[in-house]
Amino acid sequence: MGRVTLQTLLGKKLRLVLTSLAVVLGVAFMAGTFVLTDTLGSVFDNVFASATKGVDAVVRAREPFKSAGQNADVTRPPVPSSLVDFVRKARGVANAQGTLLRYALVEGRNGQSIQNQAPAFGTAWYPAGNRINQSLDLVSSWQGAQSRQPAGPHDVALDIKTAGDGGYKIGDQVQISFASTPPTRFRLTGVFRFGGSDAGLAGATLAAFTPTTAEQVLANPGQPPTWDQVDVRAASGLSETQVRDRLNAALSQAGLRSSYESITGTQLAAEQSSNIKGNLSFFNTFLLIFALVALFVGAFIIYNTFSITVAQRTQELGLLRALGASGRQVVGSVALEALVVGVLSSVLGLGLGILLVIPLRGLLSAFGISLPSGPLQIELRTIVVSLLVGTLITLVSALAPARRAARVSPIAAIRDQAIAPSSGRRRYVWGLIVTVVGIAIMSVGLFGRGSSNAAATVGLAAALVFIGVAMLSPLVARPVARVLSWPAHRLHSVTGMLAEQNAIRNPRRTASTAAALMIGLALVSLIAIFGASAKASFASAIDNQTRADFILSPKRFLPFSPGAAEGVKQGFAAISKQPATVVQYRTGTIEIAGTGHVVLGASSNFEAVSKAPVRGFNRAAFAQGGMLIWKDVAGTRQCGSDGKALCEPGATLPVRFPEEGTVPIAVAGVVTDRNALPVGTSYTLSLTNWEQRFPQTLDSYVVIIKPSDVSTSRAQHVVDSVAARFGGIKAENKAQFKNSQLAQFNQILGLMYVLLLFAVIIALVGIVNTLALSIYERTREIGLLRAVGMTRVQLRRTVRGEAVIVAVFGSLLGLVIGVGFGAAIVRALRNNGIGLSIPVGQLVAFVILAAGAGLLAGWLPARRAARLDVLQAVSTE
Amino acid sequence: MTTTSPTRTDSAARAHDASKIYGTGEAAVRALDDITVDFARTRYTAIMGPSGSGKSTLLHCLAGLDRVTSGRVFLGDVEISAASEKQLTLVRRDSIGFIFQSYNLIPTLNAAENMTLPMALAGRKPDPAWLDHVIDIVGLRDRLTHRPNELSGGQQQRVAVGRALLSKPDVIFADEPTGNLDSKAGAEILTFMRQAVDTLGQTIVMVTHDANAAAYADRVVFLADGRIVDELAAPNVDSVLDTMKRLGA
Repeated sequence: MGRVTLQTLLGKKLRLVLTSLAVVLGVAFMAGTFVLTDTLGSVFDNVFASATKGVDAVVRAREPFKSAGQNADVTRPPVPSSLVDFVRKARGVANAQGTLLRYALVEGRNGQSIQNQAPAFGTAWYPAGNRINQSLDLVSSWQGAQSRQPAGPHDVALDIKTAGDGGYKIGDQVQISFASTPPTRFRLTGVFRFGGSDAGLAGATLAAFTPTTAEQVLANPGQPPTWDQVDVRAASGLSETQVRDRLNAALSQAGLRSSYESITGTQLAAEQSSNIKGNLSFFNTFLLIFALVALFVGAFIIYNTFSITVAQRTQELGLLRALGASGRQVVGSVALEALVVGVLSSVLGLGLGILLVIPLRGLLSAFGISLPSGPLQIELRTIVVSLLVGTLITLVSALAPARRAARVSPIAAIRDQAIAPSSGRRRYVWGLIVTVVGIAIMSVGLFGRGSSNAAATVGLAAALVFIGVAMLSPLVARPVARVLSWPAHRLHSVTGMLAEQNAIRNPRRTASTAAALMIGLALVSLIAIFGASAKASFASAIDNQTRADFILSPKRFLPFSPGAAEGVKQGFAAISKQPATVVQYRTGTIEIAGTGHVVLGASSNFEAVSKAPVRGFNRAAFAQGGMLIWKDVAGTRQCGSDGKALCEPGATLPVRFPEEGTVPIAVAGVVTDRNALPVGTSYTLSLTNWEQRFPQTLDSYVVIIKPSDVSTSRAQHVVDSVAARFGGIKAENKAQFKNSQLAQFNQILGLMYVLLLFAVIIALVGIVNTLALSIYERTREIGLLRAVGMTRVQLRRTVRGEAVIVAVFGSLLGLVIGVGFGAAIVRALRNNGIGLSIPVGQLVAFVILAAGAGLLAGWLPARRAARLDVLQAVSTE
Repeated sequence: MTTTSPTRTDSAARAHDASKIYGTGEAAVRALDDITVDFARTRYTAIMGPSGSGKSTLLHCLAGLDRVTSGRVFLGDVEISAASEKQLTLVRRDSIGFIFQSYNLIPTLNAAENMTLPMALAGRKPDPAWLDHVIDIVGLRDRLTHRPNELSGGQQQRVAVGRALLSKPDVIFADEPTGNLDSKAGAEILTFMRQAVDTLGQTIVMVTHDANAAAYADRVVFLADGRIVDELAAPNVDSVLDTMKRLGA
């Protein structure tokens, strides 16, 4: 049995290639995703291992609570300078130095700040010989000049890449801006490498000052100089863990153990690396979802191909049965074929996936996500999962056709007839059930009460709906094909009519071929609808609910110095007696009733720029450090001193801050419409006292209304000069801001479209495959058509016509599902201020593109059909 | 060689020194061996011969489905042995009618659509009166909207005859048209073909191995080993059987 199977398989090479391709592409996508994220992970492992080189232990503040949804520890407070002396005197410590890594943006010679996608940091440089942290190596000479470490209050050393990017030479003056202190010029005394490499800290820029200078210029706003942590070198003969344990003992003795902790350098590196990998895992999941979609589409292709080949081999299978093969042996032979295809494709997919990493990284960087590169990491997990998933998907997809093969009776060998199809009614009943169950699960996932796995639930439900609709779709294949070929009927085009007839002669085959494309198109139109809705809502929030002449925003999502807002105020103060309205927005992390939340910080005069309705707004309470809550929070019982009273304006809410502990915060109003800025968070806190409460004091947005006596062009000059000075940020008027935000959004949508392209390409491969198999089946008929005078051109047109009908059928089904999903998801998000908006023109364009893609998919089968030798074709049995 | 050449204009199809060789070297098979033969217009000619005699190859080469290795083949005045693939297609569509042994029809088209298929492919509409007439000749008026799988074998062949007649081709080539039919249905088809020659002035060339079928023709050409070995004018079943016996078929 096995040999028969393998020989059949090898005999049909094109079929093998096309079938495999469906799995190869999906597996490649998945393997590529794994390798890419593993590679990134290893890059960060190396970065953090280098970053703690020479550090035996650190002493730092305890993290008061975990931040919500983020893996970085953003709530850990800094440590006072006095802690360094305490640690240095502890037993077993050879040396202790305060270190910090905080916002410091370097300006290039051309006045533009140097910032890539990564943050810009400043740090302290301890004199060589005495230095604990060995991650930075001074370059001895650079561009012919001697490079020295910073020694005085006006000295700075830069990492070699930033110095090069800035166009600097040793001895040049370098302008650097900070979070709290004014931008200052420093003399470049030297350059250094991080971790022995020119590439630096995965794209981050680094400026190093003497410790005394660093402590001052990098200080957090409104606070005395502090360090992030204390680096420790152990006395000789002590291990990392020994010195850590002694430090913790010393902290306990001094009664400081509740505020501070010590961990080893190795622990720190592992912790930082795992934090960043936690953030990477989101990215991994994002890409994996698209890979799974591609595999799911591939499963349809496998199912379809095996169904067709089993049907075509009815006589052969019947003969095998007649010669004594059992039903199980027949199933086995089909399963063996699937196994061979699955293993082969998975191996190829794995290989292709590894090759795919570099283009994938290129693609992401084209969409503004630039990632550091390193040696490719191919882990055992990648290999095992890729091979297993690819093989299993192939096997499972071939299961139903294999079982059908087992039902072939020995008499089929003699009779020339296809397997009696299983009762259509049963299929449609099951299809209906699966669809309804899918829709029901989706409703629960979208509208049900706070299930943590809502995304996974919705994904599963979507898969069920796809399968259900695919089962039901043969019912509509005939009428839809008829409507689609209406122009052909009008024009009495015989090729068009033949194409239509061919498309509907086996509605199930057409339907399951179309189903693969349906999935792709459904997701594409879902994204289009979601994107259009979110963009329309955002645009209306800006247009209707925001007052602004100018908005300062980061060029690369990274928060910027509050000095920018201060600069704008001063700039206007210099030319007008009236003050400008300047509203700053930033984010922080708070804990309420044991749960971490993201909180939006807004200047207390935010009302001047926001028309968002706030119920029961108490202006004075907000200005004194109060908080606005989202309407869903209002009415819950977590307020009052016991945390059990009703949350309404006038109540107080116990909020835990990273640096101030738990404080009762006045509820100063209820936000009732999120179709406005600020969007997305449930809590909006006044910026009053922010610096005492949060370690993070950078702004995300600054909204500006100019004084009325200043002309727009002069005002523009003021904000432009501030934006230029602080770099990394841009000053835009309301319309520009709206457009650039929408453009960023479009970029993300564009990336999703490109990632879905994989699934669409696989679906097109499916069309090629089905048509090629159908043409093989119809060899005799094609010979006859050619014999009675059909030209090759006409034949090609007929085959391509069929492909277009299948493609358009699939895309129309997809469109219907996509619109349904899109409407449901937008409805579920209505609390976030998103209203449904259907981009009709875009959806029509998708269908036209799908028709074009169908034309393309039909090209190869059409060519094969046209090349058939007429005489051989008519004499085919 | 007993074939006499009528004047050129009387010839519907002819082969001149035509050879067809399959394969090369040792394995080469000479399916047609320097055949020269002429098929007169408005005549019904049968080609007979044992299996492997080359009768089907001759038909295929005459009909532009296959090409001769050497020699020349004409359809009317057109030398189809020199025609391009595209020209051949148009010749088949416009000047030739086909009736195959089985699988004559496109399963997705109904009887009427199958009959008009070559004209539709040419972008022409059949003359309604002529279409009506042909439908009557083949007696399919009440089966026009039926698909092939709803028709009997005999009815399917009648559709094929109708299709062949409809475009008024220069020649109808029939390859064992009754091979898959019972004797009654077979006789019916042969009668239609005889009538087409007698009343409509059609030219028919038919390959058959059945003496009864050959007896419907005006002339029978006998092939063996790729050569013409005999021929009969005004054949009947007995004379055909006699000739076959004499040739050892």
